[in-house]
Amino acid sequence: MSVSSLASFEYLERLPGTTFKRLYQQPSTALAIFRRMLPHLAKTFVMALLYMSKPLPLTDLDLWVQPNSKRQRDEALSLLSRLHIVTITAPSKEMPQVVSLTKTFGPALRLALTGGGDYQSFGVPSSDASTANVSLNYLDEYARTQWEGILHYVVSNVGDGMRQTTQGPTAAVKQLLEAGKLVARGRHSGGGITQAGFSFLLQEANAQVWTLLLLWIENAEQMGMDSVEVLSFLFLLGSLELGRGYSIATLTSSQKKMLTHLVDFGLVFIPSSESNQFFPTRLATTLTSDASALRSVAAGFDAALSSAAGAKGFIIIETNYRLYAYTSSPLQIAVLALFTKLTSRYPNMVSGRVTRDSIYGAIAHGITSDQVISYLSTHAHPQLIKASASHGGGPVLPPTVVDQIRLWQIENERMKATPGFLFKEFENQKDYQSCVTYAGEIGVLVWKNETKGLFFVSKMEQLRDFIKSRKIK
Amino acid sequence: MNAIDGTDHYEAAVEGPAPSLLVIVLDTNPHAWALLAPTLPLSKAIANILVFINAHLAVNNANQVAVVASHCHRAVWLYPRPPTASEDVEMTEDRPLNLDDANKYRPFALIEESLLASLRDLISTTTENDISTTNTTQMAGALTLALSYINKATITFSDIDTSSKPTSTSLENSENTNGLQSRILVVSVSGDLAHQYIPIMNTTFAAQRLRIPIDILKLAGDTVFLQQASDTTKGIYMQLRSPQGLLQYLMMAFLPDQTSRKHLVAPTQEVVDFRAACFCHRKVVDIGFVCSICLSIFCSPPEGAICLTCSTHLALGDYGAKPAVVPRKRKKKRRVNGVDTPSSRVGTPAPGE
Repeated sequence: MSVSSLASFEYLERLPGTTFKRLYQQPSTALAIFRRMLPHLAKTFVMALLYMSKPLPLTDLDLWVQPNSKRQRDEALSLLSRLHIVTITAPSKEMPQVVSLTKTFGPALRLALTGGGDYQSFGVPSSDASTANVSLNYLDEYARTQWEGILHYVVSNVGDGMRQTTQGPTAAVKQLLEAGKLVARGRHSGGGITQAGFSFLLQEANAQVWTLLLLWIENAEQMGMDSVEVLSFLFLLGSLELGRGYSIATLTSSQKKMLTHLVDFGLVFIPSSESNQFFPTRLATTLTSDASALRSVAAGFDAALSSAAGAKGFIIIETNYRLYAYTSSPLQIAVLALFTKLTSRYPNMVSGRVTRDSIYGAIAHGITSDQVISYLSTHAHPQLIKASASHGGGPVLPPTVVDQIRLWQIENERMKATPGFLFKEFENQKDYQSCVTYAGEIGVLVWKNETKGLFFVSKMEQLRDFIKSRKIK
Repeated sequence: MNAIDGTDHYEAAVEGPAPSLLVIVLDTNPHAWALLAPTLPLSKAIANILVFINAHLAVNNANQVAVVASHCHRAVWLYPRPPTASEDVEMTEDRPLNLDDANKYRPFALIEESLLASLRDLISTTTENDISTTNTTQMAGALTLALSYINKATITFSDIDTSSKPTSTSLENSENTNGLQSRILVVSVSGDLAHQYIPIMNTTFAAQRLRIPIDILKLAGDTVFLQQASDTTKGIYMQLRSPQGLLQYLMMAFLPDQTSRKHLVAPTQEVVDFRAACFCHRKVVDIGFVCSICLSIFCSPPEGAICLTCSTHLALGDYGAKPAVVPRKRKKKRRVNGVDTPSSRVGTPAPGE
């Protein structure tokens, strides 16, 4: 499970139950959500329940799971019910709690595994034989240029005299980026990239694609498209095969409309001459792969996306705050320029310093110190990694630099907000205690004060059920 | 939007469970399947196994699968098919029918097609002579094929893995991300495999070394050595009482890979039959003779008291004498009852007595 999926999670969790019902009608969607969004144990549960004729009593499920993995079990179950994949009956005195797959998800996933039905949800291959002229390399190159164009736009918008890209993304994409607050136009002099934009840049390619797509879905409704249709089309794209042409003729009219947007993102490619077929690029076909899968096909994916230097580490940072970056990619240099004071540039390297002012500048853009640090450590040069490994796996970056960057930020920022729910006024200490331990077990507890009998959680649905079930007893 | 910040991301990305390779050894012994036909015909079993394979592939994009048939005289690859020139022509004929079905996920369709085709091949090339000359199955050969395939897949996988990622992750948690997690699932229907005792045990120990669990799903018959194989490799052994429910058993017990098995209570066998087969007649023995030099097992003293394996001349001693266990036990009891010594010291009698 990676965070890119988390991003889509959060979006999906907000959808109402009826939306899920419609989403799960497509077997490809059921398969993609199963594969992409669920943690490992949850997948195991779903598969065990898939061909079970009767609902499984919750106590039997407890017996199946190791006692010390209770926390993982609860997390998995709560996620499954939030995504409307399983239903757990409400606790009552006469009937034990049972768990079963929902009437929509179960049949859809079964159809995905066995095939059949008539949903056409895995794409109709185009019978046109003229696929020869579209090679994998060409598709990769195409996807890369389109995507880098978008990234470049995000970075160069900072306006620090960065050159204007000659072939930027289309106006629709620019609009989308602004609507999603990844870039802000015409703010104060430094305006441009925002905090969201910076975290966008820091993600791996797959996560970036999802972030942008989710933005697009959110805006799709304003453009008169149905978000469910958009989502199921995306999941369909994820199940297609790279390097194959698929026929446009069988798509619905709204799906055709979506295609034009997806071309802007570089997810699909349509040969201009004959427009009755489209080719998904690697960006599209890996939409539903998760992190580990990406790692194994990483060779191809990295080649398609990250600029040559980005795939491997290229940054060396010393204890005296000097920074050397072996890269000639304007994109990477532009990112570095957001939080370093670059002094000199060579054909294959730039050097500079991380200074208080440069970090302040980044913070003013809304970039946090954690983001800077994680960027530096993910792109750390192999030499740095080797050095830390030889010291028994210590930190990759020099600790002084990391601490100082954090301190520079703390000088300004002292508060952190977590949205959530406050629980108070418990009848007795025992009630309070059991609720707090339960909240801790399912991993939603943020803060507690035992003497005042208060605690604060980030999510409350499961806890509410728990409190209800206590009341019944 | 706050949720997608860089810090969460890079921590989480490392955690993704490693993809797993599942090698299924399918026992296609015609005799045994003929016996099973009233409850679970082969075609139905294959259909169930195909759904199981799809489920395995659905869990993770990078999951792989391979299927070996252990037939009556040979072990044959069912998927991936070994490349042969002659069969290619045959395959293209029935290809466009199923593969371009828009209602089926293409990777699933590919595997199904190729598996069924090679199974059909296997059945059509089996002659009556093949069937009449033997009633067992080449389990040892199939297991060996599976192990060598796993080895090959692991090497290719780790090659890709190390070249594309910086070394840090693999150094830090070598346990979690050391590439492919492989396991073997044996769907067994045949009974006695005693004549293959030595090769089966050798593959078992090889699998144990490589930490590859061998799961056994027994539809019929009972084999001592497969029990031992799953026990030593920490696999799952299940004997189905009702073979009709094959799919549910597969989905519940055999689908979880090593990562999720850590969180689950695996079905275990209470009693493992640890008997061995003798080297001379391949009989399963309870009590036998063991060469003191090379530890070969014999059901009766070899001819001329010369070990068949290492040719050592063995002295039998006074074979056939009644074991002295019974009287000694009585002695012990008497002492406990008569003299009130602390019970813990009773065990070893003093040498003088």
